[in-house]
Amino acid sequence: MLITIDPTDVRPIYVQIMDEVRRALVLGTLAPEEPLPSVRQLAVELRVNPNTVAQAYRELEREGVVHVRRGQGTYATKTRRNGTERRTLARAVATRALREAHRNGLSADELIEAIRAAAHHHHDEVSS
Amino acid sequence: MTSPLPTQLLDSDLAVVTRGLTKRYGELTAVRDLALQVPAGAVYLLVGPNGAGKSTTIKVLLDLVRADAGTAEVLGVNVRDDGPTVRANIGYVPERTDWGYGWMRVGRLLEHHARYFPTWDAEYAGRLARIFELRPERRMGKLSKGQARRVHLLMALAHRPPLLVLDEPTDGLDPLMRDETRGVLAEHLSETPTTVLMSTHHVEEVERLADHIGVMRGGELRAQMTIAELQGGLRRYRVDVPDGWQGVPTLNGAVLRRIAAAREVQWTVWGAEADISMQFSRAGATVRDVAPLSLLDATLALLNPKVEDRA
Repeated sequence: MLITIDPTDVRPIYVQIMDEVRRALVLGTLAPEEPLPSVRQLAVELRVNPNTVAQAYRELEREGVVHVRRGQGTYATKTRRNGTERRTLARAVATRALREAHRNGLSADELIEAIRAAAHHHHDEVSS
Repeated sequence: MTSPLPTQLLDSDLAVVTRGLTKRYGELTAVRDLALQVPAGAVYLLVGPNGAGKSTTIKVLLDLVRADAGTAEVLGVNVRDDGPTVRANIGYVPERTDWGYGWMRVGRLLEHHARYFPTWDAEYAGRLARIFELRPERRMGKLSKGQARRVHLLMALAHRPPLLVLDEPTDGLDPLMRDETRGVLAEHLSETPTTVLMSTHHVEEVERLADHIGVMRGGELRAQMTIAELQGGLRRYRVDVPDGWQGVPTLNGAVLRRIAAAREVQWTVWGAEADISMQFSRAGATVRDVAPLSLLDATLALLNPKVEDRA
């Protein structure tokens, strides 16, 4: 699993870390019962305050995405919730798109219609 | 403008606290009635333009400069009562690293420095020297600004003090060393319980390490809060307004920036988003977009409020 954060992204860093862990679970680059990097390791890698990493892990634990084994570290939880993670991730993407649409004076319906058309076009391109 | 921005922290456990701190240099008041509060364990970013009073404040904390009024306490000790104890508990990187010791070789200076600190971690010092690519045979006076900064960073960190006071720690470092320094600080924070007070005018370089911020200008503290509070409480609103619109009088004081062009107005406002948005719609405006600000933009808005019409 690779965790990267985007300094130009306005989401708080701990939220970006949480979303990255969710993304890794959905993509399968982080499997259930696999360890996450230690707080120290990730803090050094990302050049962030270790408390920020700890906060992200704590929130993920509260949501049941990861669990802590005392003295061993933080591990991805084996769940039936992959569907839930996918939905959470999709919702975050949708919220960002909706905000951008609103900024451009578009309604949610107009956006949804445009996404359908774009997906259709994308599908045609891929299959041809 | 009366600022609604918070300047008081709720923490009771403060590593650094000043009350009514004032320092004058002749006619110039460098620091005015300053109430700095750095919670224990915090990484506190003190930001502001050159001449804001950041370095003067820091020198008072180390008892290198005496205040004209007010008090400063560091780790529970009034700095005027026991300067040496205060300095022994601080890892200090001064803004200017070109004073004194110019004749001394780097290695000799480090040995000399180590003797003053019983908690000096020689192994850690050696590792830092390798990361910072220091050459012990070089004379201090011959070092570049960035090399001298790295020597001082090593001297500040290697005795693992309870308080780090870093005055422009990345100043003069090349991009590679700036990145290494951020990594070193992240690791240091993971290993050692430390409070950090860091001054900078390059917010974006160290913001990810910090959790508190104080914004200074003209010797005064404009705002002081957690970074989460600042990023949660400040929003940029793009608003469409009808012709001949009268504005939102209830927002006066909370507006830091307003730029108007024809029927579109962009506001930077401090306050709860739902409440502000409601005030806009009640006044007949349509909120088109609400966006959080980067920490750099947020500090610029705090430092330099601007309300202008570009009609």
